[in-house]
Amino acid sequence: MSEYPGSAWLARYRERVNKDPELGVIGDWFTTTFGLTFGDHRYALRVEKGRIAEIVAAPRLDVRMSFGFRAPVEVWRKFLSRDPPPLFHDFFAMLMRVPEFVLEGDSLAAMQNARALHRMMNLMRETSHA
Amino acid sequence: MPDFEPITGRYLSIPLEGKPHRIFVEEAGSGIPLLCLHTAGADSRQYRHMMNDPEVLARFRVIAFDMPYHGRSTPADGWWLAKYRLTTAGYLAMIRAVWETLGLERPVVLGCSMGGAIVLKVAAEFQDELTGIVGLESSAYAPGRYNELLHHPAIHGGELAASYTYGLNSPYSPEASRRENWWYYSQSGPGVYQGDVYFYSIDWDGREDLKRIDTNRCRVALLTGEYDYSCTPAMSESVAAAIPGSRLTIMKGMGHFPMIENYPGFRPYLLQALDHVAA
Repeated sequence: MSEYPGSAWLARYRERVNKDPELGVIGDWFTTTFGLTFGDHRYALRVEKGRIAEIVAAPRLDVRMSFGFRAPVEVWRKFLSRDPPPLFHDFFAMLMRVPEFVLEGDSLAAMQNARALHRMMNLMRETSHA
Repeated sequence: MPDFEPITGRYLSIPLEGKPHRIFVEEAGSGIPLLCLHTAGADSRQYRHMMNDPEVLARFRVIAFDMPYHGRSTPADGWWLAKYRLTTAGYLAMIRAVWETLGLERPVVLGCSMGGAIVLKVAAEFQDELTGIVGLESSAYAPGRYNELLHHPAIHGGELAASYTYGLNSPYSPEASRRENWWYYSQSGPGVYQGDVYFYSIDWDGREDLKRIDTNRCRVALLTGEYDYSCTPAMSESVAAAIPGSRLTIMKGMGHFPMIENYPGFRPYLLQALDHVAA
Protein backbone atom coordinates (compact mmCIF):
# COMPACT_ATOMS: atom_id res chain seq x y z
CA MET A 1 0.00 0.00 0.00
CA SER A 2 1.43 3.37 -1.00
CA GLU A 3 2.28 5.89 1.63
CA TYR A 4 -0.35 8.50 2.45
CA PRO A 5 -0.16 11.46 2.35
CA GLY A 6 3.46 10.91 1.31
CA SER A 7 6.77 12.73 1.48
CA ALA A 8 6.01 15.16 -1.35
CA TRP A 9 2.84 16.23 0.45
CA LEU A 10 4.76 16.69 3.70
CA ALA A 11 7.29 18.90 1.94
CA ARG A 12 4.45 21.03 0.55
CA TYR A 13 2.84 21.12 3.96
CA ARG A 14 6.05 22.38 5.54
CA GLU A 15 6.30 25.06 2.87
CA ARG A 16 2.67 26.08 3.39
CA VAL A 17 3.06 26.28 7.17
CA ASN A 18 6.29 28.21 6.97
CA LYS A 19 4.86 30.94 4.79
CA ASP A 20 1.60 31.25 6.74
CA PRO A 21 1.07 34.85 7.86
CA GLU A 22 -1.12 33.86 10.79
CA LEU A 23 1.44 31.50 12.28
CA GLY A 24 3.86 34.37 11.93
CA VAL A 25 1.59 36.29 14.29
CA ILE A 26 0.63 33.57 16.77
CA GLY A 27 3.52 31.11 16.59
CA ASP A 28 6.21 32.80 18.68
CA TRP A 29 5.88 30.37 21.58
CA PHE A 30 5.11 27.24 19.58
CA THR A 31 8.42 25.42 19.87
CA THR A 32 8.24 21.67 20.32
CA THR A 33 8.42 18.40 18.45
CA PHE A 34 5.21 16.54 17.80
CA GLY A 35 4.29 13.41 15.93
CA LEU A 36 1.94 12.66 13.06
CA THR A 37 1.15 9.03 12.40
CA PHE A 38 -0.72 8.12 9.23
CA GLY A 39 -1.54 4.45 9.58
CA ASP A 40 1.84 2.73 9.82
CA HIS A 41 3.86 5.78 8.83
CA ARG A 42 5.12 8.06 11.55
CA TYR A 43 6.77 11.45 11.32
CA ALA A 44 8.23 13.86 13.83
CA LEU A 45 7.69 17.56 13.15
CA ARG A 46 10.26 19.74 14.82
CA VAL A 47 8.61 23.13 15.27
CA GLU A 48 10.47 26.31 16.12
CA LYS A 49 8.48 29.46 16.76
CA GLY A 50 5.54 28.27 14.72
CA ARG A 51 7.61 27.13 11.74
CA ILE A 52 8.41 23.54 10.81
CA ALA A 53 12.20 23.34 11.03
CA GLU A 54 12.44 19.67 10.17
CA ILE A 55 10.30 16.65 9.40
CA VAL A 56 11.84 13.38 10.46
CA ALA A 57 10.39 10.28 8.77
CA ALA A 58 10.21 7.09 10.83
CA PRO A 59 11.79 8.71 13.90
CA ARG A 60 13.86 6.46 16.12
CA LEU A 61 13.99 6.53 19.90
CA ASP A 62 16.41 9.44 20.02
CA VAL A 63 13.78 11.80 18.57
CA ARG A 64 11.89 13.08 21.58
CA MET A 65 8.30 14.17 21.04
CA SER A 66 5.99 15.96 23.44
CA PHE A 67 2.77 14.76 21.85
CA GLY A 68 1.36 13.43 18.62
CA PHE A 69 -1.72 12.64 16.59
CA ARG A 70 -2.31 9.13 15.32
CA ALA A 71 -5.07 7.75 13.11
CA PRO A 72 -5.63 5.21 10.36
CA VAL A 73 -5.14 6.49 6.83
CA GLU A 74 -8.88 6.39 6.09
CA VAL A 75 -9.48 8.87 8.92
CA TRP A 76 -6.79 11.21 7.65
CA ARG A 77 -8.25 10.98 4.13
CA LYS A 78 -11.57 12.26 5.43
CA PHE A 79 -9.91 15.02 7.48
CA LEU A 80 -7.88 16.16 4.47
CA SER A 81 -10.67 15.92 1.91
CA ARG A 82 -11.89 19.07 0.23
CA ASP A 83 -15.37 18.55 1.66
CA PRO A 84 -14.74 16.84 4.98
CA PRO A 85 -17.71 14.96 6.38
CA PRO A 86 -19.14 16.15 9.71
CA LEU A 87 -17.08 14.95 12.70
CA PHE A 88 -13.97 14.71 10.49
CA HIS A 89 -13.69 18.43 9.73
CA ASP A 90 -11.61 19.49 12.76
CA PHE A 91 -9.09 17.79 15.01
CA PHE A 92 -11.04 18.67 18.15
CA ALA A 93 -14.14 17.16 16.54
CA MET A 94 -12.24 13.97 15.82
CA LEU A 95 -10.82 13.85 19.35
CA MET A 96 -14.38 13.93 20.65
CA ARG A 97 -16.19 11.78 18.10
CA VAL A 98 -13.71 9.63 16.15
CA PRO A 99 -12.18 7.04 18.52
CA GLU A 100 -9.48 6.04 16.01
CA PHE A 101 -8.06 9.57 16.06
CA VAL A 102 -5.82 9.72 19.09
CA LEU A 103 -3.84 12.42 20.86
CA GLU A 104 -0.75 10.71 22.24
CA GLY A 105 1.72 11.99 24.80
CA ASP A 106 1.48 15.13 26.87
CA SER A 107 -1.92 16.71 26.24
CA LEU A 108 -0.91 19.69 28.38
CA ALA A 109 1.83 20.57 25.89
CA ALA A 110 -0.66 20.21 23.03
CA MET A 111 -3.28 22.40 24.69
CA GLN A 112 -0.75 25.06 25.72
CA ASN A 113 -0.21 25.50 22.00
CA ALA A 114 -3.84 24.98 21.05
CA ARG A 115 -4.23 28.11 18.98
CA ALA A 116 -1.12 27.71 16.84
CA LEU A 117 -1.44 23.93 16.74
CA HIS A 118 -5.02 24.21 15.56
CA ARG A 119 -3.97 26.60 12.81
CA MET A 120 -1.14 24.30 11.78
CA MET A 121 -3.45 21.31 11.60
CA ASN A 122 -6.04 23.25 9.60
CA LEU A 123 -3.36 24.10 7.05
CA MET A 124 -3.19 20.40 6.19
CA ARG A 125 -6.43 20.65 4.24
CA GLU A 126 -5.21 23.75 2.42
CA THR A 127 -2.04 21.88 1.48
CA SER A 128 -4.11 19.15 -0.12
CA HIS A 129 -6.32 21.55 -2.06
CA ALA A 130 -4.16 24.56 -2.87
CA MET B 1 -26.33 61.43 11.81
CA PRO B 2 -24.22 58.62 13.24
CA ASP B 3 -25.08 55.26 11.77
CA PHE B 4 -26.31 53.65 14.99
CA GLU B 5 -27.64 50.12 14.99
CA PRO B 6 -31.16 49.65 16.43
CA ILE B 7 -29.78 47.82 19.48
CA THR B 8 -30.04 49.46 22.89
CA GLY B 9 -27.94 48.11 25.76
CA ARG B 10 -28.63 48.78 29.43
CA TYR B 11 -27.71 47.47 32.85
CA LEU B 12 -30.29 45.77 35.00
CA SER B 13 -30.35 44.46 38.56
CA ILE B 14 -31.86 41.01 39.01
CA PRO B 15 -32.26 39.08 42.27
CA LEU B 16 -30.53 35.73 42.22
CA GLU B 17 -29.75 33.40 45.11
CA GLY B 18 -30.61 36.17 47.53
CA LYS B 19 -28.18 38.66 46.02
CA PRO B 20 -28.62 41.46 43.52
CA HIS B 21 -26.79 40.85 40.26
CA ARG B 22 -25.87 43.60 37.83
CA ILE B 23 -26.35 42.25 34.35
CA PHE B 24 -26.13 43.67 30.87
CA VAL B 25 -29.24 43.45 28.69
CA GLU B 26 -29.59 44.55 25.10
CA GLU B 27 -32.67 44.64 22.94
CA ALA B 28 -34.17 45.77 19.67
CA GLY B 29 -37.56 45.61 17.98
CA SER B 30 -41.09 45.39 19.27
CA GLY B 31 -43.80 42.80 19.57
CA ILE B 32 -43.61 39.32 21.01
CA PRO B 33 -40.75 39.12 23.54
CA LEU B 34 -37.99 36.89 22.20
CA LEU B 35 -35.53 36.17 25.00
CA CYS B 36 -32.21 34.88 23.64
CA LEU B 37 -29.66 32.81 25.55
CA HIS B 38 -26.00 32.79 24.52
CA THR B 39 -23.68 29.79 24.43
CA ALA B 40 -21.20 28.62 27.07
CA GLY B 41 -18.40 31.06 27.78
CA ALA B 42 -19.82 33.63 25.38
CA ASP B 43 -22.15 36.61 25.65
CA SER B 44 -25.09 38.34 24.05
CA ARG B 45 -23.06 39.74 21.17
CA GLN B 46 -23.72 36.42 19.43
CA TYR B 47 -27.23 37.73 18.69
CA ARG B 48 -26.16 40.96 17.04
CA HIS B 49 -27.32 39.91 13.60
CA MET B 50 -30.79 38.93 14.79
CA MET B 51 -31.02 42.26 16.58
CA ASN B 52 -30.25 44.03 13.32
CA ASP B 53 -32.70 42.11 11.15
CA PRO B 54 -35.67 44.34 10.22
CA GLU B 55 -37.95 41.41 9.48
CA VAL B 56 -37.34 39.90 12.92
CA LEU B 57 -37.55 43.27 14.69
CA ALA B 58 -40.88 44.11 13.06
CA ARG B 59 -42.49 41.22 14.86
CA PHE B 60 -40.37 40.52 17.93
CA ARG B 61 -38.84 42.43 20.80
CA VAL B 62 -35.49 40.65 20.73
CA ILE B 63 -33.78 40.66 24.12
CA ALA B 64 -30.40 39.13 24.94
CA PHE B 65 -28.49 39.33 28.20
CA ASP B 66 -25.03 38.47 29.39
CA MET B 67 -25.24 35.86 32.12
CA PRO B 68 -23.50 36.74 35.39
CA TYR B 69 -19.71 36.25 34.95
CA HIS B 70 -20.11 36.74 31.18
CA GLY B 71 -19.62 39.69 28.87
CA ARG B 72 -20.46 42.93 30.62
CA SER B 73 -22.34 41.35 33.54
CA THR B 74 -20.62 41.37 36.89
CA PRO B 75 -20.40 38.31 39.13
CA ALA B 76 -22.20 38.80 42.44
CA ASP B 77 -20.29 40.08 45.46
CA GLY B 78 -18.07 37.37 46.92
CA TRP B 79 -17.44 35.67 43.58
CA TRP B 80 -13.78 35.18 44.46
CA LEU B 81 -14.76 32.71 47.18
CA ALA B 82 -16.75 30.40 44.94
CA LYS B 83 -15.70 28.19 42.06
CA TYR B 84 -17.91 29.06 39.12
CA ARG B 85 -20.17 26.14 38.33
CA LEU B 86 -23.39 26.64 36.39
CA THR B 87 -26.14 24.22 37.39
CA THR B 88 -29.49 23.38 35.86
CA ALA B 89 -31.34 24.89 38.82
CA GLY B 90 -29.22 28.04 38.88
CA TYR B 91 -29.50 28.54 35.13
CA LEU B 92 -33.27 28.13 35.18
CA ALA B 93 -33.61 30.54 38.10
CA MET B 94 -31.49 33.12 36.28
CA ILE B 95 -33.61 33.00 33.15
CA ARG B 96 -36.76 33.26 35.24
CA ALA B 97 -35.32 36.24 37.15
CA VAL B 98 -34.57 38.13 33.94
CA TRP B 99 -37.98 37.21 32.53
CA GLU B 100 -39.84 38.38 35.66
CA THR B 101 -37.76 41.51 36.21
CA LEU B 102 -38.42 42.61 32.64
CA GLY B 103 -42.09 41.63 32.97
CA LEU B 104 -42.09 39.65 29.73
CA GLU B 105 -45.52 38.30 28.84
CA ARG B 106 -45.67 34.96 27.07
CA PRO B 107 -42.20 35.21 25.60
CA VAL B 108 -40.52 32.97 23.12
CA VAL B 109 -37.30 31.75 24.72
CA LEU B 110 -34.54 30.94 22.24
CA GLY B 111 -31.21 29.47 23.24
CA CYS B 112 -28.19 27.95 21.59
CA SER B 113 -26.05 25.04 22.78
CA MET B 114 -26.29 25.11 26.57
CA GLY B 115 -29.04 27.68 25.95
CA GLY B 116 -30.63 25.19 23.58
CA ALA B 117 -30.49 22.65 26.36
CA ILE B 118 -32.01 24.80 29.09
CA VAL B 119 -34.87 26.01 26.89
CA LEU B 120 -36.15 22.44 27.09
CA LYS B 121 -36.24 22.77 30.88
CA VAL B 122 -37.83 26.22 30.56
CA ALA B 123 -40.56 24.67 28.42
CA ALA B 124 -41.09 21.79 30.83
CA GLU B 125 -41.43 24.08 33.85
CA PHE B 126 -43.23 27.12 32.44
CA GLN B 127 -45.12 25.94 29.38
CA ASP B 128 -48.33 27.74 30.28
CA GLU B 129 -46.52 31.08 30.46
CA LEU B 130 -44.67 30.78 27.16
CA THR B 131 -45.51 31.33 23.53
CA GLY B 132 -42.87 28.77 22.67
CA ILE B 133 -39.22 27.86 22.59
CA VAL B 134 -36.65 27.76 19.82
CA GLY B 135 -33.83 25.38 20.58
CA LEU B 136 -30.66 25.86 18.55
CA GLU B 137 -28.37 22.86 18.83
CA SER B 138 -30.62 21.39 21.52
CA SER B 139 -29.65 18.29 23.41
CA ALA B 140 -31.25 16.67 26.42
CA TYR B 141 -28.02 15.00 27.48
CA ALA B 142 -24.59 16.01 26.23
CA PRO B 143 -21.63 14.45 28.02
CA GLY B 144 -18.08 14.81 26.77
CA ARG B 145 -17.26 18.51 26.52
CA TYR B 146 -15.86 19.02 30.03
CA ASN B 147 -12.14 18.69 30.65
CA GLU B 148 -9.75 19.88 33.34
CA LEU B 149 -7.37 21.64 30.95
CA LEU B 150 -10.02 24.26 30.18
CA HIS B 151 -9.00 25.99 33.40
CA HIS B 152 -5.32 25.39 34.09
CA PRO B 153 -2.59 27.80 35.20
CA ALA B 154 -0.20 26.64 32.48
CA ILE B 155 -2.70 27.22 29.65
CA HIS B 156 -4.16 30.42 28.24
CA GLY B 157 -7.80 29.63 28.96
CA GLY B 158 -9.20 32.17 26.52
CA GLU B 159 -7.15 30.88 23.61
CA LEU B 160 -7.93 27.28 24.46
CA ALA B 161 -11.68 27.86 24.86
CA ALA B 162 -11.78 29.80 21.59
CA SER B 163 -9.76 27.21 19.68
CA TYR B 164 -11.59 24.29 21.30
CA THR B 165 -14.89 25.71 20.06
CA TYR B 166 -13.72 27.02 16.67
CA GLY B 167 -14.23 23.69 14.94
CA LEU B 168 -17.81 23.63 16.19
CA ASN B 169 -18.43 26.10 13.40
CA SER B 170 -19.10 24.61 10.01
CA PRO B 171 -16.09 24.74 7.68
CA TYR B 172 -18.48 26.32 5.18
CA SER B 173 -19.41 29.33 7.32
CA PRO B 174 -17.72 32.62 6.44
CA GLU B 175 -14.28 32.82 8.01
CA ALA B 176 -14.78 36.34 9.33
CA SER B 177 -17.88 35.25 11.25
CA ARG B 178 -16.20 32.16 12.66
CA ARG B 179 -13.28 34.31 13.74
CA GLU B 180 -15.63 36.79 15.38
CA ASN B 181 -17.05 34.05 17.54
CA TRP B 182 -13.48 32.93 18.33
CA TRP B 183 -12.79 36.42 19.58
CA TYR B 184 -15.84 36.44 21.85
CA TYR B 185 -14.82 33.08 23.25
CA SER B 186 -11.30 34.29 23.93
CA GLN B 187 -12.70 36.96 26.23
CA SER B 188 -14.43 34.89 28.88
CA GLY B 189 -13.13 35.05 32.45
CA PRO B 190 -10.93 32.36 33.98
CA GLY B 191 -12.85 29.10 34.31
CA VAL B 192 -16.12 30.52 33.03
CA TYR B 193 -16.32 28.38 29.91
CA GLN B 194 -15.41 25.35 31.99
CA GLY B 195 -18.03 26.26 34.60
CA ASP B 196 -20.67 26.50 31.88
CA VAL B 197 -19.60 23.20 30.36
CA TYR B 198 -19.99 21.70 33.82
CA PHE B 199 -23.70 22.41 33.37
CA TYR B 200 -23.81 21.30 29.75
CA SER B 201 -21.91 18.05 30.00
CA ILE B 202 -22.17 17.01 33.64
CA ASP B 203 -25.16 18.49 35.48
CA TRP B 204 -27.64 18.63 32.64
CA ASP B 205 -29.90 15.68 31.94
CA GLY B 206 -33.28 16.76 30.63
CA ARG B 207 -34.38 13.42 29.20
CA GLU B 208 -37.19 13.04 31.72
CA ASP B 209 -38.19 16.72 31.48
CA LEU B 210 -38.84 16.38 27.77
CA LYS B 211 -41.73 14.05 28.44
CA ARG B 212 -43.64 16.83 30.20
CA ILE B 213 -43.53 19.28 27.31
CA ASP B 214 -46.93 19.68 25.69
CA THR B 215 -46.69 21.40 22.34
CA ASN B 216 -50.36 22.29 22.48
CA ARG B 217 -49.45 24.63 25.32
CA CYS B 218 -45.95 25.66 24.25
CA ARG B 219 -44.75 25.42 20.66
CA VAL B 220 -41.32 23.90 20.09
CA ALA B 221 -38.99 24.49 17.15
CA LEU B 222 -35.54 22.91 17.00
CA LEU B 223 -32.71 23.77 14.61
CA THR B 224 -29.43 21.90 14.53
CA GLY B 225 -26.41 22.28 12.26
CA GLU B 226 -25.15 19.40 10.18
CA TYR B 227 -21.56 20.04 11.30
CA ASP B 228 -22.30 20.35 15.00
CA TYR B 229 -20.24 17.67 16.72
CA SER B 230 -21.12 18.76 20.26
CA CYS B 231 -24.87 18.46 19.78
CA THR B 232 -25.03 16.23 16.74
CA PRO B 233 -28.12 16.06 14.53
CA ALA B 234 -28.78 12.62 16.02
CA MET B 235 -28.88 14.13 19.52
CA SER B 236 -31.48 16.71 18.47
CA GLU B 237 -33.42 14.03 16.64
CA SER B 238 -33.79 12.13 19.90
CA VAL B 239 -35.04 15.34 21.57
CA ALA B 240 -37.59 15.87 18.80
CA ALA B 241 -38.70 12.25 18.99
CA ALA B 242 -39.48 12.72 22.69
CA ILE B 243 -41.60 15.85 22.10
CA PRO B 244 -44.63 15.04 19.91
CA GLY B 245 -45.56 18.03 17.80
CA SER B 246 -42.12 19.60 17.87
CA ARG B 247 -40.52 20.77 14.64
CA LEU B 248 -36.90 19.85 14.00
CA THR B 249 -34.87 21.02 11.02
CA ILE B 250 -31.29 19.97 10.37
CA MET B 251 -29.47 22.91 8.84
CA LYS B 252 -27.33 21.80 5.92
CA GLY B 253 -23.74 23.04 6.04
CA MET B 254 -24.25 24.76 9.41
CA GLY B 255 -22.37 24.34 12.66
CA HIS B 256 -23.00 24.88 16.36
CA PHE B 257 -23.30 28.70 16.36
CA PRO B 258 -25.77 29.49 13.57
CA MET B 259 -26.77 32.98 14.72
CA ILE B 260 -23.19 34.23 14.66
CA GLU B 261 -21.22 31.90 12.35
CA ASN B 262 -23.45 32.33 9.29
CA TYR B 263 -26.46 34.57 9.81
CA PRO B 264 -27.47 34.77 6.12
CA GLY B 265 -27.50 30.97 5.97
CA PHE B 266 -29.32 30.70 9.27
CA ARG B 267 -31.93 33.37 8.63
CA PRO B 268 -34.40 31.35 6.49
CA TYR B 269 -34.39 28.57 9.07
CA LEU B 270 -34.85 31.07 11.89
CA LEU B 271 -37.78 32.82 10.24
CA GLN B 272 -39.53 29.50 9.67
CA ALA B 273 -38.92 28.44 13.27
CA LEU B 274 -40.27 31.76 14.57
CA ASP B 275 -43.32 31.38 12.34
CA HIS B 276 -43.86 27.94 13.81
CA VAL B 277 -43.69 28.99 17.46
CA ALA B 278 -45.49 32.31 17.10
CA ALA B 279 -48.15 31.19 14.61
